[in-house]
Amino acid sequence: MSKQNSNWSRRRFLGNFAFASTALATGVGSWVVSPDWANAAEAPIKVGIATDLTGPIGYAGNADANVAKMVVKEINDAGGLLGRPLELFIEDTASNESVAVGNVRKLIQRDKVDLVLGGITSSMRNAIKDVIVARGKTLYIYPQLYEGKECTPYLFCTGPTPAQQCDEFIPWLIKNGGKRFALPSANYVWPHTLNVYARKVIEASGGEVIFEEYYPLDQIDFSSTVNRVISNKVDVVFNTVIPPGVGPFFKQLSEAGFLKNGGRLSCVYYDENTLNINQPAEIEGLASCLDYFKALVPEDPASAKIQAAYDKQFPGTFLFAAGSAATGTYRGLKLWEAAVKEAGKLDRDAVAAAFDHAKIAEGPGGPAEMVPGQRHCKMKMYTAVAKGGNYEILARSAGLVDPKEC
Amino acid sequence: MANLVVAVFEILSFGAIVVLVVLGLGVIASMMGIFNFAQGEFVLLGAYVTYLAYSLGLPVWLGMVAAPFVVGALGFVLERLIVRRFYAAPIVAMLGTYALGLIIREVVRTLIGGLYRSVPEPIAGSLDVGTMHFSSWRLAIVIITALVMVGSYLLLSHTTFGLRIRASLENPSLARASGISTSAIYGATFAFGAALAGLAGALIVPVFSLFADLGIRFLIQGFVAVMVGGVGSFAGPVAGAGVIGTLSAALPWVISPVVADVLVFVLAIAFIKFRPQGLVSGKGV
Repeated sequence: MSKQNSNWSRRRFLGNFAFASTALATGVGSWVVSPDWANAAEAPIKVGIATDLTGPIGYAGNADANVAKMVVKEINDAGGLLGRPLELFIEDTASNESVAVGNVRKLIQRDKVDLVLGGITSSMRNAIKDVIVARGKTLYIYPQLYEGKECTPYLFCTGPTPAQQCDEFIPWLIKNGGKRFALPSANYVWPHTLNVYARKVIEASGGEVIFEEYYPLDQIDFSSTVNRVISNKVDVVFNTVIPPGVGPFFKQLSEAGFLKNGGRLSCVYYDENTLNINQPAEIEGLASCLDYFKALVPEDPASAKIQAAYDKQFPGTFLFAAGSAATGTYRGLKLWEAAVKEAGKLDRDAVAAAFDHAKIAEGPGGPAEMVPGQRHCKMKMYTAVAKGGNYEILARSAGLVDPKEC
Repeated sequence: MANLVVAVFEILSFGAIVVLVVLGLGVIASMMGIFNFAQGEFVLLGAYVTYLAYSLGLPVWLGMVAAPFVVGALGFVLERLIVRRFYAAPIVAMLGTYALGLIIREVVRTLIGGLYRSVPEPIAGSLDVGTMHFSSWRLAIVIITALVMVGSYLLLSHTTFGLRIRASLENPSLARASGISTSAIYGATFAFGAALAGLAGALIVPVFSLFADLGIRFLIQGFVAVMVGGVGSFAGPVAGAGVIGTLSAALPWVISPVVADVLVFVLAIAFIKFRPQGLVSGKGV
């Protein structure tokens, strides 16, 4: 922290000052990042970001906003889109659906943006999608990994789906853990829907589900669960318990000797942010399956370039991580850029038609392409295992994995 | 059999954690008649001080020793500056302390970047007896809770300071007439309650990790415990916390955890309906 403060430069001060004054001008929770050049004939293209800058998942929302600033700057520096610069409008959804709806309405009605990207939780997506797509007649990109089944027209999902996170991962778990699965889960829509899919894949791959149990979202004592895991000789814990419960749960499991006896932890939202919840020894060997890990940097030059650019522009606590939708945000904006270029105009139907089969050759974790008619995105998936507080990539999908949605 | 022993230990240890968290809340509620909604954030601050010491490279136990003093001192300052203005209006006091809590919580959230931070236990690992594993740190918490409980009881019941606190609670004007500075006593009591919360936060942070909402998680449970136990005495909230803590850890062993969560509150409400004065009625220690 202190190192960062000593690096204050005049440019940075002015930048922050400008940022603060727009915040004052546009109201609390709104930010406008204007391009540093303009097209004399036409106004800038307006990109709207609605994400959780404050509240419990503020760490993820801030990372997503940073990614958007980075991508928009990159596009502007390269000459903009259709000869016009991009102007970025950021609204805070504040981890609160009713606040979010009002703020997203501002993006649509006051700022008249050409695109809204954002929402992290499924409940947030459900709250704001109607405001954007139906009443707002605007394109919407949802960037987070989620439970699938979102098939609203003009709504494009650029994060991994259950098929992408399970199809290759669960057979790997059976091979590298065992056949007896436990599905301890938080009691909300994502774990419920994901588990239905996971159970199918587990059973089809020759494994069995010993128990599937749901807990209140704020439960932090898991002694009875740990006991069931140990006494039923479970091989693989396929966890969808979320913070704050997940930390104590993994700790209690490790104290009860689950890892010592060769048990395998797995959790498909675990990224670089969540590694800090526990001591490294408590989650040694935890396996996750996502579209990107920082550990890919040495092997994938495109990922390395994006990661380096992000770290340079935004050193600090908000990490570029797959579980906080940062990679989905990057992919979403780049796919949209490709779609607008192909359409040659910003008309919603024209862009949506081009978005339907948009492709990018370089993204975090590799290339990505939309599956025509599905409004979901094919991407490479990686299986990584926690070792001493870092991830090590142990398996890679052969090619782009199909989202199998809609 | 082994299973039963483990179950009893786990349930007991969570009960101890809740007792530890509720102690400070109970002292302030019973001895001052103030429902301190910032109590959860005092717990959070205790956890944060411990994390801070750890992240500066100091031993974790040092942070744990410092936490009650730092949080107690802050509690004293806050009582002087803000809380004492609310003694005449308990409802306003709730809102005022809630606002204080909100400020502390969001400041800590900013300081830790909204993320979860782990802090290692000073005594790590587990005690293995045959096939049974007992977490060493949870065992330590059970022992420390027992010591703190006995210590606080002795302080309130067997020292002049405790006598003055009780006197100020029971009859403030008579206490003042007898030469007790009730305002100094209130300040000290509030600081003591805050220090207990700070200690609780310091001790539980290795178990639950540090995160900004750590305090709120225990706040509701804490107030239910105080209600069930009975306001006015030291023993009441402690007994209530023991009941609520063990109940919420024990029920998931026998019924679905989602039902158990609700059932604890239903049982608490039903209990209060039939015994509004709580487990321990009357004022005193």
